[in-house]
Amino acid sequence: MSDSVPMNAKLRQAMLLAPALIFLAVFFVMPLFDNSMRSFMSEDGGFTLSRYTSFLTDRFYLGVIVETVVLAAAVTVISVVIAYPVAYVLVRKAGRLSGVFIFLLIAPLLTSIIMRTFGWQVLFARRGLVNQWLVTDLGILDVPLRWLNTPGLAIAALVHVLVPFAVLSIASVLQGVDRRLEEGALMLGASKLRTFFEVTLPLTMDGIGTGAILVFMIANGSFVTLVLLGGGFQTLPLLIYQQFNTTRDFALASTMSTILLAIALVCLWLQLRLVRRQGA
Amino acid sequence: MKLSDVILWIFTIAFFIFMILPIAVVVVISFTSAGYAAFPIPGWSMQWFARIFEYQPFIDSLWVSLKLAVVATVASCLLGIPAALYLSRSRSGWATAITTFLLSPLSMPMIVIGFASLFFLSWLGFGISFLALTIVHTVICLPYVIRTVTAVYRSMSPAYEEAAMILGASRFTTFREVTLPLIRPGIAAGCLFSFLTSFDNLPVSYFFGSAQTNTLPVVMLAYMEHQFDPSIAALSTLQLLLAVVALLIADRLYGIEKMTIAT
Repeated sequence: MSDSVPMNAKLRQAMLLAPALIFLAVFFVMPLFDNSMRSFMSEDGGFTLSRYTSFLTDRFYLGVIVETVVLAAAVTVISVVIAYPVAYVLVRKAGRLSGVFIFLLIAPLLTSIIMRTFGWQVLFARRGLVNQWLVTDLGILDVPLRWLNTPGLAIAALVHVLVPFAVLSIASVLQGVDRRLEEGALMLGASKLRTFFEVTLPLTMDGIGTGAILVFMIANGSFVTLVLLGGGFQTLPLLIYQQFNTTRDFALASTMSTILLAIALVCLWLQLRLVRRQGA
Repeated sequence: MKLSDVILWIFTIAFFIFMILPIAVVVVISFTSAGYAAFPIPGWSMQWFARIFEYQPFIDSLWVSLKLAVVATVASCLLGIPAALYLSRSRSGWATAITTFLLSPLSMPMIVIGFASLFFLSWLGFGISFLALTIVHTVICLPYVIRTVTAVYRSMSPAYEEAAMILGASRFTTFREVTLPLIRPGIAAGCLFSFLTSFDNLPVSYFFGSAQTNTLPVVMLAYMEHQFDPSIAALSTLQLLLAVVALLIADRLYGIEKMTIAT
């Protein structure tokens, strides 16, 4: 039928697409392109790679890139490991409670990053609820611990923001697993544990992959949590924020944003490959 | 119940305590009678909600944030709905590529979008203005509308529209009387996500701060750097209430299940 569509009808259809396409080309692609160009431009307006060579040979900046990726990876691994059992209970065990579970999972997504950070600060303050439990109520500790500005709490806060995405990705794939495959393995004498590791887990690898990439992508660019909760991390987003605020070396900030963008593009590419494989 | 099930359930309950506790604590603190933010609270009062309305920057920025979220959402609908209608009926490879492109702002680091847009929009002459802020917010809201409308429209059979056309309805009448009512849940879900995303955004809005363009999250962040009092908790509680009300209204009108298809 599409062959018989006259030319002006095709044109009219293309007009539906044009505004969104042009809008994003001008206000999304061009700013990012312009920003990357700035990182390649020397003082006199020529082309230079010097920022990248000095960036990638400087021990401090190289460390920053590594720390950015390692932190995001750590948050991703922790989120997926926590999310899997929760997704499993949600799909297989919750029954009528699953509606409540989904609500409890979605509700935190509706809260602002500031609200969650505020909550963490109150809970883990020196005289906060957690220290009070540990020292007074349970008597495990003699003196209150310093939690704020520790890497552990910052990671916990990032996991808190991102783990619902992992649960939802894994749950949606787990829902589609054919139970008969598991029953077959059990009937043929495999233990429950073996059935899980050799049948269920491999079948849900795609959900784990989708969730992991999503979590990694967001963790990779997040900085508000780290600004407010500290933890002593030196990551690319945090340094861009500092450059913008205090040092004001915009060319350096452009270089760092371009590297951050490159990491995001690699994630996007992996995501598309995974989606295409699922479609096939 | 078997031991493995018991362990799974304990883990799940611990997980939900971890998820809910930091949020619940903030809601409780917003009703504290004390002059400081600590939990448990000594008594109940509404004073911190009153305090919000006495602090002018909160009121001004709340107004900016609401206006911004509405304008960016309307702009996203105007740009996104036609594109989504076109893309969901097209199966060709390049349509998939274009859909990927239109959704890609979701995958890029917000801080990079904010930083890059500030320079580019200043160069274009928009400077730090409400218009500039609206443009950047539309960039990050547009993908939500496209994603939800595409999902709903794709799950809908083209037979309804064909029937209307065969029966003599014009293209426009078909759109208004058939297509639009059918994709309304997708539009509602898209508007909801778009509104909440814009209203809550900090990493992009941060770069466009000025007396006229400071959004609520930006003002809250600045406030938190100097003071640590329960007014931030009260504001957060109001913000959560707004989100829950929006979600409930959308649920009442279209059903949450219909909208979750769209995500």
